[in-house]
Amino acid sequence: MFVPATQPVHVEQLVFKGLKQGLTLFVPEKESFVYWLEVLDRQLDQAKGFFQGGAILVELGERQLTPGELAGLKKILAKYRIRIKGFNPVQRKKLNPRPEKQLPASSGVLLIKGTVRNGQRLEHEGDIVVKGDLNPGGELVATGDIIVLGALRGIAHAGAGGNVKAEIIAFTLAPVQLRIAHIFSRAPEGRKGQHGPEIAYIKGEKIVVERL
Amino acid sequence: MAGRVIVVTSGKGGVGKTTTVANIGTGLALRHKKVVMIDADIGLRNLDVVMGLENRIIYDLVDVAEKTCRSVHKALIKDKRLSNLFLLPAAQTRNKDAISPEQMVAIVDELKEEFDYILVDCPAGIERGFDNAVAAATEAIVVTTPEVSAVRDADRIIGLLQDKEIYDPVLILNRLRPDMVRKGDMMDVDDINDILAIKLLGIVPDDEEIIISTNKGEPAVLNNHSKAGEAFRNIVRRMEGEEVPFMSVNGEPGLFGRFLKLLNGK
Ligand SMILES: Nc1ncnc2c1ncn2[C@@H]1O[C@H](COP(=O)(O)OP(=O)(O)OP(=O)(O)O)[C@@H](O)[C@H]1O
Ligand SMILES: [Mg+2]
Repeated sequence: MFVPATQPVHVEQLVFKGLKQGLTLFVPEKESFVYWLEVLDRQLDQAKGFFQGGAILVELGERQLTPGELAGLKKILAKYRIRIKGFNPVQRKKLNPRPEKQLPASSGVLLIKGTVRNGQRLEHEGDIVVKGDLNPGGELVATGDIIVLGALRGIAHAGAGGNVKAEIIAFTLAPVQLRIAHIFSRAPEGRKGQHGPEIAYIKGEKIVVERL
Repeated sequence: MAGRVIVVTSGKGGVGKTTTVANIGTGLALRHKKVVMIDADIGLRNLDVVMGLENRIIYDLVDVAEKTCRSVHKALIKDKRLSNLFLLPAAQTRNKDAISPEQMVAIVDELKEEFDYILVDCPAGIERGFDNAVAAATEAIVVTTPEVSAVRDADRIIGLLQDKEIYDPVLILNRLRPDMVRKGDMMDVDDINDILAIKLLGIVPDDEEIIISTNKGEPAVLNNHSKAGEAFRNIVRRMEGEEVPFMSVNGEPGLFGRFLKLLNGK
């Protein structure tokens, strides 16, 4: 077989596919995420000029990213002026396939494992679910809902782009600031958060918070 | 087997990083580990002063990076008291960008095979100095005091450590004052754990012995009567894999405290 001398043959490559939702990068579930980031960097570098900017989707399968991993991915894509417009466009087989409500058809759910810390900001077109806390100084921005399965103490902006139906749910809701669509609300000074989950949504022209 | 490379960092300045490195380094050496402490705080070095080694410096970290001295070993200063403890001092008349993260990695690589522990004293802040100090580390100790601003900075640092692929930093809570905690005037361990949610390595009480020992150039861990010294001895034991219980409000259980507890039948 003819192999050009400069081209290593054994390197694993990431797959890009053109789905109907848009160009999608598939990150396999095997190997560490950091491993694939290196592969991606090399691959984009070789394809320089081909990928000039633009927005892609990223399919992660069952993989959950830490805030640091997501930041790493964005950093590499930014080098090639590529933006992430959504995650997980492929409808997954559910373990428990009930034909109930469908997930929002938009760009799927971004699932974050671990605490979103001071100085970390995550943006996503779709819903964000955090399996951890959102700490003061941390920021979440979603065009859909935001769900924090821990304490929400930072800044959350749901319905970014104008969806007034968006909701913010947290197990402990003690935010610095909430924002849904175009409406702001500052938490009353010293609000510690109820014990138990609460939901914030727009009622009239105001954000209200209720026990879930 | 290669040694453990641990960076001691905080974000906020003046919370006790240098004190921690000096005490842990000395404490590990007391347990017959071969230890090197690297002062990465270029331009604001003071680990040498805290260790009482200032007058022995000939070469420093920048000299090693720039190969002004023949090998890294030429720049290592042996401790006065313990022959298995060494200091690689920072340069005082240069800036943080006098070395690069790559140079730091190369220097640490040279030391790794020979030492059980390589402790890096990180400068305050999140810029170049932090990048240098963290570059070669595979573990991190985050130091904070029980103040909201220090805890916020610690949280920020934990996020930045993730970006550097250090995922499980451990926490030292320094300068806790049991009397203030009891009165509700100071954050306690639970409040801090609530935010940072990382493993606690130790609680060091606010102790004037630290100031006295710093001035003498003799780490408190050598002093059997210092409460902070005892806390650092416990920290060292935990680093070595021992299970040592914590006392949340009263800081680490001191000898005297234990005695009182016995007397009071608790
Ligand atoms: N447990 C303690 N009890 C009393 N004083 C302490 C304690 N820990 C540290 N200090 C004092 O606090 C000051 C700052 O400590 P240290 O130099 O270790 O902090 P640092 O984090 O290294 O500072 P920098 O960010 O400037 O490098 C010193 O004067 C030290 O003696
Ligand atoms: Mg210092």
